[in-house]
Amino acid sequence: MGEHANLYMGKDIYFWNFIVLMVFTLFEVGAVFFETVPGTEIAISRSVVWAILIVVGIVKGYGIAAFFMHLRDEHKWFNITFMFPWIFVALMLWGIGLSNPEGVTGLPSWCTPDWSYATER
Amino acid sequence: MSAHGNEVANSTWLRAVMMAGMIFTVGIIGFGVLGVGIADQKHHTWEDEHHHYEDAKSEWKDAVAAGTIDGDDHDSELYIAKEEAHNSEIAAHLSYLTYRTAGVTMLFLAGAYASFIGIGGFLNASKPKGDDHHDDHHGEHEEHHGSASPIIFAFGIMVFLMGLPDFIVACKAMLDETATAELGMLAVSVSGLAIIVIAVSNWWFEDLPFIGHGEQIATSYPFEGDHIRKVGLWVFIMSEIMVFATFFSSYLRMRTEWCTKWAFENSNGGFDGCRSEDDWVLTASDYLRPGGAKLDGFGESVGDFWTLLPGGINTFALIISSYTIVLALKTAKNTNWEAPKGFMGKLMPTRKAAVRNYLIATLMLGSLFIVLKLVEWSHLVAEGFTIGTVQGSIFYIATGAHGLHVFIGLVIMLYLVFKADTVGYDEDNAQGIEYFGLYWHFVDLAWVVIFPAFYLY
Repeated sequence: MGEHANLYMGKDIYFWNFIVLMVFTLFEVGAVFFETVPGTEIAISRSVVWAILIVVGIVKGYGIAAFFMHLRDEHKWFNITFMFPWIFVALMLWGIGLSNPEGVTGLPSWCTPDWSYATER
Repeated sequence: MSAHGNEVANSTWLRAVMMAGMIFTVGIIGFGVLGVGIADQKHHTWEDEHHHYEDAKSEWKDAVAAGTIDGDDHDSELYIAKEEAHNSEIAAHLSYLTYRTAGVTMLFLAGAYASFIGIGGFLNASKPKGDDHHDDHHGEHEEHHGSASPIIFAFGIMVFLMGLPDFIVACKAMLDETATAELGMLAVSVSGLAIIVIAVSNWWFEDLPFIGHGEQIATSYPFEGDHIRKVGLWVFIMSEIMVFATFFSSYLRMRTEWCTKWAFENSNGGFDGCRSEDDWVLTASDYLRPGGAKLDGFGESVGDFWTLLPGGINTFALIISSYTIVLALKTAKNTNWEAPKGFMGKLMPTRKAAVRNYLIATLMLGSLFIVLKLVEWSHLVAEGFTIGTVQGSIFYIATGAHGLHVFIGLVIMLYLVFKADTVGYDEDNAQGIEYFGLYWHFVDLAWVVIFPAFYLY
């Protein structure tokens, strides 16, 4: 782990990554907690909250994976190993998660289970 | 990982038994203080508030029956008094649940920790000491042979899961006074647990003497020259990403179809099946976040700073624990380490103590996560958000699976603390912390997705 020996303002990259994660988490919770921008009457719309949650999630995810899991310094095959399942994640999100309302019932019959039990219960 | 270093004296393992005793004592004290002492006081308060509410409700009902006030008049003094009493009763109940659940969870965690480290220590201390032949061939003849413990561990999990349905039914029967428990129903799962404990203790027995020599190295492309354990862990993480992706995509699939307050307000008058407030379904975030759709008798959202607090603290706890495990690794690898000055210097006078204490800090933060998680669950269940609904099912399964990962990580971390306290970690054998750290960071990474998706959205 001595890969990040460089110091920034006397502290290593792990410290600053930790600070960034903490600040962004505060930002994330704050975005949900406050219905208006603090000190103003500007309303924070749902869409803005949604966008903030996604952007903050991506930044935090990158910080953890790149620095704490030190993928940034690993050779490409570790990065590929880490990235590979995201293809399936994307497929699942696209094919199932975001395909409302056709995601499950609209799939071809050969890969659609019998969902009648779900509606008959 | 097989033993490639010096033999560890049996007496060292007895320290694990002592450690188990200490941990269990802490658990009992925690349970006594929080789960019994404070919780009993809170229970009395709850009972008092319950009586106040019943009285206020009776008064209101009598007034409505007598025609003094209109039942739909939410501005009448009696209605306001009734609802205020109701809110006070709920607050008192949740306060009681907070301490009771925290105490019971501390006892459970301490019991689980003590069982693993205590039984493991006892079994390993009881083993005959290996002959010196192995040590005499230290060096070139160190064999890179694997261990059977992981596969035995996996077999134990399989047996445990095979018996899990019966195990749950039997446990529920034992808790339910109207039913009779059949102890035989516990047999398969308990056998699985026994196999798991034996496999884990043997795994620890093999790993404890490891001082950094004889790490198995991959010999083929594309991971040639890398530690096999590291590659294996990354492949494991790869599979874990897909596991959590199934939870997340299932949730998203259902969530986009639910008529939530959020969806209703963002669809300009709703959509088919979502035309009025009566159609709204409640998600966990409706109970937890400020402005959520779960309302009290005054039409105010029950979600506020306090309901979001456990999830918020847990988020910070995981991030801080990710940093403390990094500090443990950094310290173990730092050959030029110097004791800090002042109070921290007293806490960490040596490198060995510093590594151990950073690991203990990580263990405590992870334990805090589990305690707060169950406190939060107890509140949600008490307020009616149960696993019996689709919204509850996906929430409890996803957050429960994550919590299980945290718990498993804590059991492993317990061993790391033990090793840091006995054999110690340094620049040669710190990969144990490094590889565990990868798993722990992944658990943090999963929470980065789960927290906003289930608690804030």
